[in-house]
Amino acid sequence: MKNLIKEFAKGIIKENPTFVLALGLCPTLAVSVSVANAIGMGVAATFVLLGSSLIISSIRDFIPDKIRIPCYIVIIATFVTIAELCMKAYSPQLDRSLGIYVPLIVVNCIVLGRAEAFACKNNLARSFFDGLGMGVGFTLALILISAIREFLGSGQILGHTLVKGFQPVFVFGMPSGALLVIGLLLGLFNLLKDKRV
Amino acid sequence: MARYGFILALICVVAAGLLGIVNTLTSPKILAAAQAEEQAALKEVMPLAAKFTAVKSVADKEVLYYKAFDNQDKLIGFVFKAGGKGYSSVIETLAGIFPDGKISAIKIISLNETPGLGMRVTEDKFTAQFNHQNSLDLSSVEAITGATISSRAVMNSVTKKAQEIKELIKNDPFNGSTPLTIDTEQRRSVDSAQGHAERTEGESKHDK
Repeated sequence: MKNLIKEFAKGIIKENPTFVLALGLCPTLAVSVSVANAIGMGVAATFVLLGSSLIISSIRDFIPDKIRIPCYIVIIATFVTIAELCMKAYSPQLDRSLGIYVPLIVVNCIVLGRAEAFACKNNLARSFFDGLGMGVGFTLALILISAIREFLGSGQILGHTLVKGFQPVFVFGMPSGALLVIGLLLGLFNLLKDKRV
Repeated sequence: MARYGFILALICVVAAGLLGIVNTLTSPKILAAAQAEEQAALKEVMPLAAKFTAVKSVADKEVLYYKAFDNQDKLIGFVFKAGGKGYSSVIETLAGIFPDGKISAIKIISLNETPGLGMRVTEDKFTAQFNHQNSLDLSSVEAITGATISSRAVMNSVTKKAQEIKELIKNDPFNGSTPLTIDTEQRRSVDSAQGHAERTEGESKHDK
C-alpha cells in the first residue's frame, strides 16, 4: 500500500510531468489561458492516462513487443475519442474553448510516455496509481500556470475579478506569456530540487 | 507475422465496438446541444422572432440563411452567417436583418484575434453600433482602436453577405414581396467605404 501511495505521489512533485519531466508542453502552452480550460484539459488528460494505463497494464503480456506502439496508440485514441464525445455532449462550451487540443491528447507525450515507461512493465494497481498521480500532477501544473496567466493577463481567476483597478498585462494572455511563466516555474522547480539535494 | 496482425485487429475491433457504443449514447445529446446553441444564437440577433427556418441551397444542402417568423407566422426578418478574414483568423458573425435591410443585431460567433485588441470586437461597445444600421452601409460604425483590421473584417463581411443574401431573397419565389430595398446612392457609398477599408488594411499590413 505504501508503495502505491509513492507511485501516486511521485507524479505530483518529484516527477511532475510538466515541470520535471517536461513532457506535453505544447498543450500546456496552448490551453493555460484560463483556469477553467486548465481544469477541463487536466481532467480529460487524467481520464485518458488512467484508462490507457489500466488497459495497457492488464493486456501487457498479450501485446507482442514488436507492435506495441500501434497497439498503445489505438488504445489511447479510443479513450481520447470517448473523452471528446462526452465533452461535446455534456459541456459544449468547454469543448469549444479547448478546441483541437482534446484530440491532440492522443499524441501527448505524457500518455504514451507513461504507457511505454511504466504501464507495460508494472501490474494493474501500480499502473493505476502511476496514471492517477501523473494526471493529477499534470492538472495541478496546468492550474498553477493558468492561474498566474489568467490573473496577470486579465486580472481574473475563473472569471471573478480579484483586485479592483488592476491593469492587466496582455502579454500573459498570449503564447509568449505562457513561455515566460513556464520557463520561470521550471527554473523555480530546479532551484528547489538543487536545494533539497 | 500473421499473429501480430490478428492481435492488432482484435484490439481495433474492441476499440471500434466501444466507440460505437459511446457514440450512440452521446450523439443525440451532441445534436441537441448544437441545435439549442444555434437557436439561442439566432434568437440573440433576432429577439422578436418566435421561430426560425433554415433556407438551404439546392446543390449541397448548405444553410444559406434563416428566415425569422413571429408568433403569427409572419416573416419579420432574416439571419445569416458572414465570415471575413481578420488579423489572425476568420471572424464569423451572425447577423439578423429586417426585411428593410436594417440590422437587428449581430453576434460574433467565432474568432481568434489578438487578446485585448482584436478580441474586443465581441464587446457590446462594438457590436451594439450595428443595431438599426443599414446592413449595406456600415460607414458610421466606429472601429476598435488598435484593431482596425478585425473591426473592418466584421463590417465588410456583414455588408458583403447582406448583398449576397439580398440577391438570394429576390430570387426566392416564396418571399413574394421583395424585401431589402436599397437605392443606388447608398450602394455607391458602400463601395467607397469598402475601397477605403481595403486601403487602410494594406497600409497597416505594410507597417508590420
